[in-house]
Amino acid sequence: MAIAAPAKRRRMSPWHFVLFPLAVLFLVPFAQMLLASFSPAKDLVTFPPPFFPSHFTVDGFVKLFTTTDIMLWLRNTVLVSTAAVLSNIVLCSLAGYGFARLRFAGRNFGFFLVLATIMIPTQLLMIPTYILFAKLGLLNGLGAAIVPWLSTAFGIFLMRQFFLSLPVELEEAGAIDGCNRWQIFFRIVLPLARPAIATLAIFTLLGAWNDLVWPLIAINNTQAFTLQLGIANFQGAHLTDWSLVMAGNVIATLPLIMFFLFAQRQFIATMTFSGLKG
Amino acid sequence: MSSHRRHALHVFGALSGSALLVVLAGCSGSPQGATSLEPDAKVTIEVWSGQSDEAETLIEGLADEFEKDHPNVTIDISPGASSTDDLLQKLSAGFAGNQYPDMSYAYGSWAGQLEASGRTLDIRDEISKPEVKWDEFTAAARGTAQPTGNKVIGFPAVVDNVGLYYNKTIFDKAGVAYPTDDWTWDDFRAAAKQLTDSANHIYGYGYSVSGSEETTWQFWPHLWQNGGAILNDDATKSEFNSQAGVDALTFLRDMAVEDKSIYLDQTDEKFAELFASDRIAMMTSGPWQLSPLKTAGTSYGVVVLPGTNGDHQTVSGPDVWALFDHKDVNRAYWATQFAEWLTSAAQDERFNVALGNLPLRSSSAASVSVETQSAEFPGYDVFVANAANVRQTRPTSAGYAALSVAIGDAISAVLQGEGDPKTSLDDAAATADAALAK
Amino acid sequence: MVDTTLREAGRAPGPMTPDAPGPGKRRGLRSNLSGWAFVAPATAIILGLSIFPAMWAFVLSFQDWDGFSPATWVGTDNYANLISDANFWNAVKNTVVYTLMFVPTSVGLGLLLAVALNRRIRFIGFYRTAIFVPFVVSAASTGVISNYLFSPQFGLVNNVLRVLHLPQQGWLDDPHQAMVVVVIMSLWGSVAFTTVIYLAALQDVPAELLEAARMDGASAWQSFRAIVWPQLAPVTVFVVIWQTIEAIQLFDLVYTTTRGGPLNATTTIVYFLYDKAFHSLEFGYGSAAAYVLFAVTMVITIGVVVYSRRRGQEAF
Repeated sequence: MAIAAPAKRRRMSPWHFVLFPLAVLFLVPFAQMLLASFSPAKDLVTFPPPFFPSHFTVDGFVKLFTTTDIMLWLRNTVLVSTAAVLSNIVLCSLAGYGFARLRFAGRNFGFFLVLATIMIPTQLLMIPTYILFAKLGLLNGLGAAIVPWLSTAFGIFLMRQFFLSLPVELEEAGAIDGCNRWQIFFRIVLPLARPAIATLAIFTLLGAWNDLVWPLIAINNTQAFTLQLGIANFQGAHLTDWSLVMAGNVIATLPLIMFFLFAQRQFIATMTFSGLKG
Repeated sequence: MSSHRRHALHVFGALSGSALLVVLAGCSGSPQGATSLEPDAKVTIEVWSGQSDEAETLIEGLADEFEKDHPNVTIDISPGASSTDDLLQKLSAGFAGNQYPDMSYAYGSWAGQLEASGRTLDIRDEISKPEVKWDEFTAAARGTAQPTGNKVIGFPAVVDNVGLYYNKTIFDKAGVAYPTDDWTWDDFRAAAKQLTDSANHIYGYGYSVSGSEETTWQFWPHLWQNGGAILNDDATKSEFNSQAGVDALTFLRDMAVEDKSIYLDQTDEKFAELFASDRIAMMTSGPWQLSPLKTAGTSYGVVVLPGTNGDHQTVSGPDVWALFDHKDVNRAYWATQFAEWLTSAAQDERFNVALGNLPLRSSSAASVSVETQSAEFPGYDVFVANAANVRQTRPTSAGYAALSVAIGDAISAVLQGEGDPKTSLDDAAATADAALAK
Repeated sequence: MVDTTLREAGRAPGPMTPDAPGPGKRRGLRSNLSGWAFVAPATAIILGLSIFPAMWAFVLSFQDWDGFSPATWVGTDNYANLISDANFWNAVKNTVVYTLMFVPTSVGLGLLLAVALNRRIRFIGFYRTAIFVPFVVSAASTGVISNYLFSPQFGLVNNVLRVLHLPQQGWLDDPHQAMVVVVIMSLWGSVAFTTVIYLAALQDVPAELLEAARMDGASAWQSFRAIVWPQLAPVTVFVVIWQTIEAIQLFDLVYTTTRGGPLNATTTIVYFLYDKAFHSLEFGYGSAAAYVLFAVTMVITIGVVVYSRRRGQEAF
């Protein structure tokens, strides 16, 4: 089952009958979103609702780009996500390796604490964190959105599991050759970690890009809004313009989808190496 | 080899260095606010407008104007939250973190709570000045800006009342006669039943069951027309669970559960949307719907609320521009000036009235041509006249917010078929009394 | 916790890095410093942003605080009130129901999808992408899509029912159906997670074993049960724990669709505490609820880990 026998290209695999409907089913909601974003707003509140729009229009997008700050939000989101991804890659690789291979006082306890934080519901932390950020002067700017994402427990866990799965011999060979810990890390181990780093990058990107509830509370300054915040505002008005809302959601999701399409093979390959399977 | 290590150390150093800087920057603390008034000193005030779409654009334009007239003042204006409802949350989180604005839009139902926070300004001195013309505001508006009779926490923002909108398209299609100013609630109920067509998803009436203030305040006219009261005279005990209240809730419940003529909206916005798209025949709402309905092109009419024994009294929910204290005399001064300017007769016409809202002041009411406004927004004249039907005010004590939640939940549950009116109202009264006692 | 240092490869304890002292001796300060240098930045941020606020929230759970008036100490009153709070138990019930619906389906469906996707046929890239696309859609967008798709008047789902002459449903407006919709959209958005993990695990099953089994005449089902499934056991443990923790903390989708309604049918524990803290301005009470949730999560996780350790599976 790991690798199928070479496909007989002439005869269609029966699996297509399972996979194709499934794929369609999974794509339907997203397709609806796309269709709605290209529909005239009136169509979306007609009864009975048409399956396809009466005519295709880019009015929703025009309204989106001319009346809202979507490009600003996009820029902010890119900034926040990039900072989050870079920071996680650096900090979590270091920490993951430290917890995996190095011996130092408090290591096990430290790792246990890090894991334990995963179980704390973030809503519990919101008010104290809000006050903490207020005192640190971080509120109302992009800093409020970035700082919580500088490093994640999941990232540390992922990298640690990955480093655990590497054969110890490689590092031992390095030790015998006279390298110290830093050298072993940077020259031997890190180059092998590309798949894990790619996975970490993808998960961190997703998390930071789609973060909604915390920025909702922490950021009032419209100049610092992220995409999710901007979109959340759309539904506040009295008469929701569905085509505008959908257009906004399309813009918010499209970069991630394109990124995933691009990184898809890498992503699945990395899971094999990430050692999550124990 | 060493380049890797140096590189790593550089990165590490940079990160910890910047972290340290951030901490230090934050810990430097905020400068002490000005204690003596310098009208020409540079000042920045933060305003949360609670508006969206064209209202937001309008008010931002006005803020720009004010800045031009007063070059030393910078107004940092934004909606403040994704919906006006969410502003209270933002404000309370803001109080907790010392990050609240100088001026914010606030629902009248929050006024008592805001005053109790101790963070509001008290502009009693300012409003006693003759040029402010405080008495031109309606009694209800003034009362909301001074919720407990002590501090005046801001300027009135919106005055309104609730009337009955009806969708002419649906009425015509069903062949039902339009509502009149003499309707009773029985007429209303009968019409709603006739207009409801569940196969085509058309409802006679729409009511929010989200449990918020929208759910609650739509109930008060029914209660009052039946002769009931919300609270006792010294606002310590709930009285809405009297027979008047039970009758009122039973009426709504029968319409919802037995006639099935009410669209029960889980949000506060959908029923208006559905009314505008010709799916709900009648809704009880205020002047703020006039502008969106015009944009949507719906064919509608407005009358006063149906009555009980000739009593057509309605509810009014004035909102306020709450002003907050940052222990800085200059900020307080300019925030007050801006609020005063915004609500003065000239700006009232350009902002409030232009959006279809009722004039805040009697002077703007006098100069505003009701005919022109009604041509612009059909039904406007009905709301202006309906102000005479506002005879009781909504309570403004600090406990009102909790009371509103308690009874909102009760109404919501009963309308959706859970529980009977008497028990639900009694339970809500008990919860409300506990909150009032705090 | 199992010692995972470089010692792990089965060798006798001994110096593995040049600056480590001999076996049994105290690790030198330098070695500790170097270890801390690796883990400190990331750990400090995480712990600083969780442990400290968590402790503050713990103190808060013994107080009554509305966010701006001074806090008053109420001891264990908050916890006592929770026990008798019908809304809290309703939230607990909803969370349990959601978890029981979501976790087995997510794990089972993930496995099935992984099995289906684990083959080299044409368009497999397209199929895999189709399953994964919902994962990148944010909770806010998923909420918007759910509201639109399941809108009783204008949504696709009721439209399809109407065309098929089936009765229209209330979906998110109906207290009995709302949670089902939440489960469906939740699965839509997150089954990719379990699928990908299982997919990776399946691809790790040694091909030789399967070949050998096939040559011995085993059917696909038999090889699955005897060879593949045991290999998947550690992954399954991990995935079950992870999805359970996620399920117990459900909030985002509820916030963006139903806000806990209708009639509190979709109020989960986290939504309950959010509502108490931010709408009712009872931060102490909300913190108490959060701590109850935390305690339960810890118990479950530790329980599952201990149980699986006993049975020889290693996931953490």
